[in-house]
Amino acid sequence: MSNGKIISQEPIIELKHIDKHFGSLHVLKDINLTVHKGEVVVIIGPSGSGKSTLCRTINRLETIDSGEIVIDGSVMPKEGKKLAELRSQIGMVFQSFNLFAHKTILDNVTIAPRDVLKKSKREAEEEAMQLLKRVGVDSQAGKVPAQLSGGQQQRVAIARSLAMHPKAILFDEPTSALDPEMIGEVLDVMTELARDGMTMVIVTHEMNFARRVADRVIFMDGGSILEEAAPEEFFAAPKTQRARDFLNSLGDRESRS
Amino acid sequence: MMSVGELLSQFGDKYLQALWTTYGLTVLCFAGALVLGIAITVMRICPIKPLQWFGDFYVQIFRNIPGAALLIVLVYALPYLRVMLSYYMCVLVAVTLIPSSFCSEYLMAGMNTIGAGQIEAARSLGMTFFQIVKNVVLPQALRSTVLQMTNLLVATMLTTALASQVPLNPADLTGIVTYINTHAVGGITAFMISAFFYAVTAVVIGQIGNRIDKKVRILR
Amino acid sequence: MNGAHASIRDVLYDAPGPKAKRRIAFVTVISLLALAALLAAIVRRFYVTGQLDPKYWSIFLRYTTWRFIGRGLLGTLQVAAASSVLAFAAGMLLMMARVCRYRVLNAIATFIIELSRGIPTLLFIYFFFLLAPQFGLQLPSFWRITLPVSISAMGVTAEALRSGVNAVPRGQTEAAVSLGMRSASVFFKIVFPQGFRYVIPTLISEMVIVFKDTTYAYVVNYADLMQNAKVLISNYDALLAVYLVVAVIYIVINYLINKLAATVERRTRAAVAAAK
Repeated sequence: MSNGKIISQEPIIELKHIDKHFGSLHVLKDINLTVHKGEVVVIIGPSGSGKSTLCRTINRLETIDSGEIVIDGSVMPKEGKKLAELRSQIGMVFQSFNLFAHKTILDNVTIAPRDVLKKSKREAEEEAMQLLKRVGVDSQAGKVPAQLSGGQQQRVAIARSLAMHPKAILFDEPTSALDPEMIGEVLDVMTELARDGMTMVIVTHEMNFARRVADRVIFMDGGSILEEAAPEEFFAAPKTQRARDFLNSLGDRESRS
Repeated sequence: MMSVGELLSQFGDKYLQALWTTYGLTVLCFAGALVLGIAITVMRICPIKPLQWFGDFYVQIFRNIPGAALLIVLVYALPYLRVMLSYYMCVLVAVTLIPSSFCSEYLMAGMNTIGAGQIEAARSLGMTFFQIVKNVVLPQALRSTVLQMTNLLVATMLTTALASQVPLNPADLTGIVTYINTHAVGGITAFMISAFFYAVTAVVIGQIGNRIDKKVRILR
Repeated sequence: MNGAHASIRDVLYDAPGPKAKRRIAFVTVISLLALAALLAAIVRRFYVTGQLDPKYWSIFLRYTTWRFIGRGLLGTLQVAAASSVLAFAAGMLLMMARVCRYRVLNAIATFIIELSRGIPTLLFIYFFFLLAPQFGLQLPSFWRITLPVSISAMGVTAEALRSGVNAVPRGQTEAAVSLGMRSASVFFKIVFPQGFRYVIPTLISEMVIVFKDTTYAYVVNYADLMQNAKVLISNYDALLAVYLVVAVIYIVINYLINKLAATVERRTRAAVAAAK
């Protein structure tokens, strides 16, 4: 595969025949996708293509009408403690960071390990400080989210996910709400995570990043997966007309801006 | 016109009792309003539609009915349904029901400032419903409504003046003004003493509220 | 797509699974039954105490009853309108004194505002009703209710106006000053019009406070809705029915005022957002 990385054949996330409607709108059409351990899958596509919805169905923030989601061998339950437990194994990073506004940066990272995994305060805090250091915001540990820049907040959000030792992390347009000068710092952290072997599903508009980091690129439009290929293959020679149109429109926009 | 000293030597006991009545009613009613307001809020946010309707209806009734109208219904109309409450009970009920609806409105507004994102984040970290309520919803709702709640405490105190509309013994801070006015010529002094107690209490509550708010306010 | 505008009702609960759906359906049925039982118990209470007797309610089929209620309502509305205007004028003056550059005026305004906000309306009413006459101030009953209600409302009005003025970004003042405008015209032409717009919804919902306070008009024997209700009761012996109808009238009017405030607020917010 692309980065010369050897990816195991052990599936972490399996989506089987996923269908979903928003009212009369068919937003996900028979989606089948398997993400293997250590793999970085980047989902791209025009807005309204269903890529964010797909990302959010993986930990059932969005319900599905039919189909099956399997996380590391267990079928995603529809409700209850089991669902919460499985969710705790899948990290999620949102477009708008969604840090807990009333808690310090440190508490944002420790709250779930303490309350969900029942770790001791000391253990949770020690690990949290290491994680904050890893994403480069350890000096801000005592502040509250509103005192941090968007890029810093998003890095804290990544640390918060990592603190749960997830089997995979979902990124739902993690840089779309950031000022241009902060996008790099977040992408750098993500690149490093990928290099360390984290399993990642990333919805993004950052094509250069996708090219560099993805093991596999998924192109979605109109609620369907239209293409699935290694990045160099996809970006060099997209097979479908719609993917070509999409890439061209991006090219236009980039050259215009 | 009587001096403050003369007035207090003649009616001092009565004043202490009046202050006690007003403060007592305020504390009891505010505590009741908080409990009721939280219960109604739970109904309004629960996934059971009829309970939501009931909660919404309750709030619309009691935030819109004038205190005097509610008190009159309780005092004069309920006996026709063979529901007899003491005068004190009528005041207590009226001054609890009205603030409880405002309490619920403030809590709803406080929760709406939290935003879907934080709740989804908590969910994706594996928190159960009760963990989300305990860790995210309640602390933020309470901390962002400190000012409204202290204003509500002041409003509750002002509403207890309704007690002057029924014969109560001992009277409240407003009732005692009419009492003294009919028993002596010290009306204006009595008015000023009562006004002083009300206003000072309101300012003190407001200051405490401001201080707490500054400490716990959530930056956004 | 992340539902940033959804209300807490929509996001607090996870999308229900089949088990949760069954549970919700079950509790929904139970709670419907409970509410029906509550309603039935209330109606039954009316029935066994004879309060459903048509003689109590038939007066509301008569035009004269409604004309009389309407006349009372008109009295109420007159007091409410006059009080709102007075409270606004006084609140405006207090706000200006509160934010102007003279320390003494600031302090006086703060003092008056705190008194206005911290003293019950009823106490002000007794002041004008019982005490003012002792000093030779004989007011008609209209003013005996209108003055205290205005005094009670002017403090909150002043604070509402001030919060609006404070919400206007500093840059507006700086821009106006840099154009050479004098400070008075900066305030009246630039700052106040914008701040006022922010607080129109608050001012509308404060009319509810004024409207509620007018119910004390019976204390001073002014012919408002409540006072006319008393007359109806003494004529027809239908106390429960009349008071319930009157209470509903108050509730509906205040509900409508609040609705109006909410609508205006939505529009204002949309307009402010569009301007940004």
